[in-house]
Amino acid sequence: MTETTQAATTPSALDPGDHGVVDRLTRVQLAVAVLGVVALALIGARFSVTTIMLVENILIIGLFGVATNLLLGYGGLVSFGQAAFFGLGSYVVALNWAHLGQSFWLAFVVAPVVGAVIAVPVGALALRTRRLYFALITLAFSQLFATIAHKWYSVTKGDNGIFGAMLPETLAEPRTGFMFVLAVVVIALFMLWKVTASPFGMSLRATRENRERAAALGIDVYRHQLIAFVISGFFCALAGALLVVHDQAAYPQLLDWTTSGTPVFAAVIGGMYSFLGPVVGAAIYQLGHDLTVRYTDAWQFVLGFVLLAVVLFAPDGVATLLRTGRWRAWLRTRRGER
Amino acid sequence: MTNAVVQLLSGLTTAATLFTVASGLTLVFGAMRVINFAHGSYYMYGAFLAATVVGGGGGKLWFALLVGPVAVGLLGAASEVLIMRRIYAREHLTQLLATFALFLILADAALWVWGGAFRSVPRPPLLSGTVPIGAASFPAYNLFVIAVAVVVGVLLWFLLQRTTAGWSIRAAAEDRETLAATGVNVQRLFTLVFVLGSVLAAVAGVVVAPLVTVAPGMDIGILVSAFIVAVIGGLGSVPGAAIGAVVLGLFQAGGVLWVPQWVSAFPYLAMILVLVVRPWGLLGTAER
Repeated sequence: MTETTQAATTPSALDPGDHGVVDRLTRVQLAVAVLGVVALALIGARFSVTTIMLVENILIIGLFGVATNLLLGYGGLVSFGQAAFFGLGSYVVALNWAHLGQSFWLAFVVAPVVGAVIAVPVGALALRTRRLYFALITLAFSQLFATIAHKWYSVTKGDNGIFGAMLPETLAEPRTGFMFVLAVVVIALFMLWKVTASPFGMSLRATRENRERAAALGIDVYRHQLIAFVISGFFCALAGALLVVHDQAAYPQLLDWTTSGTPVFAAVIGGMYSFLGPVVGAAIYQLGHDLTVRYTDAWQFVLGFVLLAVVLFAPDGVATLLRTGRWRAWLRTRRGER
Repeated sequence: MTNAVVQLLSGLTTAATLFTVASGLTLVFGAMRVINFAHGSYYMYGAFLAATVVGGGGGKLWFALLVGPVAVGLLGAASEVLIMRRIYAREHLTQLLATFALFLILADAALWVWGGAFRSVPRPPLLSGTVPIGAASFPAYNLFVIAVAVVVGVLLWFLLQRTTAGWSIRAAAEDRETLAATGVNVQRLFTLVFVLGSVLAAVAGVVVAPLVTVAPGMDIGILVSAFIVAVIGGLGSVPGAAIGAVVLGLFQAGGVLWVPQWVSAFPYLAMILVLVVRPWGLLGTAER
């Protein structure tokens, strides 16, 4: 029994604790951000198409991750169903191309709005449940959407999905496509950052730390969580619409709960208590994937061990590890031991 | 009328497998408050082991019914000691991700051991016939599957309600500190419960093997179904799992007749509906 009690008292970083999240950009951070965007733009202008496509993918998963992390890291809500909105975003753009024939740009703008609108009833129902049940009901919604896309053959082409030249010429060209994705992701991340730093974001974090206390302070917990769910749905769908720029396709797998796992992994690997953690995680995830599949087809095997290692030994994620410099202390103790 | 009975029995066959798998999931949750994403993997391993043991001739399914659960029980014990034990006291997210990681590892490991081929397992000769029901007939093996689930249900009821170990398991769900103070080795109890859960999944996997195509991906399909059954019934409640399994099994059998295209959407709708009305499932207890 002693071991169990010990485990209970060991501070777990995934437990809500005193995780301060930096809210105001310092000059250094702003400079780093600007440099980062410039560097990414240079990649878009100079590097090979393969590299561009990889970075583009990371940006999209990164946005997907940050949008999911609004619930996960900031709201303390474990959703295993954000793929429902991600896939929805892709499907809005693809279905428009296949059936309605309106312009891509219109569909692209409408997609996140559809995500937000659908997130209202889904969130209103799902948020009636708590914790594990919330994770599982969101998973059920994700599966429900995937089943509809899978079975409604006359509209969605079922398992085959919708493939085709659905992009306007400018975006079909990899370099301009990349610049477009980069611009949208940067703007979206800035908006999400504003949300997290707003009084609403503060209250949302308060509901994560202590639901009862937040409620006692007059915060309408359900309402805050629902708004966060709708915002997350909006940006998940935006990421999904961006994926069409990358893939020119929409298929049921995008709505599946295993796809819902991807942004959660990105957030946990990168660090869910840091705003850009999920982007770092997305980079690690995607680079790791592309490197692994080059040498072996046991990608899930590798991902499984990495996830286990992160969850068991570095539960704060890599970004937090780097930010707090805890790794230096860790290295020092290692050297000291030898 | 006869047709309705056959349809009912076919629904109960589905329900039987669902119950056997979900009972293990819900038992583990009841005692340790952990939801195990790798639970479906134990089921798949059971089915793969059955395919390996039975090979060509159908007679050795009885042997597989021994080998499968024992081997998977050992795998379950290893999972508990190496991973689960470290995460009981952690956040739900940690638990979900750790067991999801285990699911990924086991999926690729199975692919490595058994390959991606589709296998079929013949029924044992004794049960390969049919049983006449009115004008129609029903496969004897399906009745066997239902019988196994009934036996599992009765044994679980007996274990939980009539034995000291069962008393400890139920007590662990309430208050594991106090239970430990009474001198029960909670650590060992948890290992045993986890092994029992994985064995139940393996039993279901072996028993179902002659009815399905044994192939990679079985783990994920059954996992989601078992979640739904356990959640509808209320996580931690074995009788709840039985209700959830029967509801799902019967509606699927009926749905195939009326709305075949949409029958696969039904389980998700059922789960969403139940959770909206009762956010902790039919027989579950509200999360503290």
